[in-house]
Amino acid sequence: MEESFVENSKRESFIFDTSAFISLESVSLLDIVLKNFHITTSPSVIRELENFAIHNDQLGEIAQRVLKKKTMILSEAPMQLQPLSYVSDTDKDLFNLALSRKIALVTDDVKLVRHSIGTISTEFSPFFLTVFTEAGLFQKNEAIQKLETMRSIRNWRNNTIYLSAIRELTLGKDNNI
Amino acid sequence: METEQLNLRVSQDLVHDIDIVTGLLKVNRSEWIKTKLAEEAQKEKNRLLMELSTLYAKGMITKDSIEKLVGKEIAEEMEFIKEAAIESVRRGRNLGRKLRGKLKA
Repeated sequence: MEESFVENSKRESFIFDTSAFISLESVSLLDIVLKNFHITTSPSVIRELENFAIHNDQLGEIAQRVLKKKTMILSEAPMQLQPLSYVSDTDKDLFNLALSRKIALVTDDVKLVRHSIGTISTEFSPFFLTVFTEAGLFQKNEAIQKLETMRSIRNWRNNTIYLSAIRELTLGKDNNI
Repeated sequence: METEQLNLRVSQDLVHDIDIVTGLLKVNRSEWIKTKLAEEAQKEKNRLLMELSTLYAKGMITKDSIEKLVGKEIAEEMEFIKEAAIESVRRGRNLGRKLRGKLKA
């Protein structure tokens, strides 16, 4: 793997769920994320991606591309299992990974974010577009174009995430981009 | 799952068409109608909520108006998502500033 400008040991770490991988790879951002950050996920997410990858539709094709980068992603089962109601077993794994490692979970799954409030930190996938734009890797209009692409493949909840991110990128008061 | 009975009157032509379809598919007529109705309702619900969420995220409609149109639950969820997305973008901006010039494309 090519070394990032950020020294390996100093890179920030995040936990990714399936939706984060799919969203970021849909706009070809996953490679840059993996070069600059440590990304961990659960074996259950890898299985979900493998199930998506069986299909020859848009999501299946994106999942196939994510799985080709599997060697750059740490897959780890959670050591502890604190109960979390109303979410899937995969979401419970990710919640517990984030909890035990004290790092943020990246997901575009609103239900998981709502049920995790006050226990773990969460970010939506556009977080990385803002990081890269502010860090000087992207122009603001490139980031907005990618967010427009991301919102075309999802439901109304994701539409709200991506459009709100576009609006904040465009109108944010402290925006020096 | 609780159910509710809907009383519908449809044209004989439509009944005839449905009978042809369900006869060819060899499926129960009522079950086929219920499945198609559920599929169409889900598709239309998502299409309309996509439009509503677009208006809300762009600041063209208020939460109160959404609540009047589709109820408190969806209005509160949209508000939650919008606020969480804005906060996430702001945290991303702060991290990006710290990492300016230190990331590789």
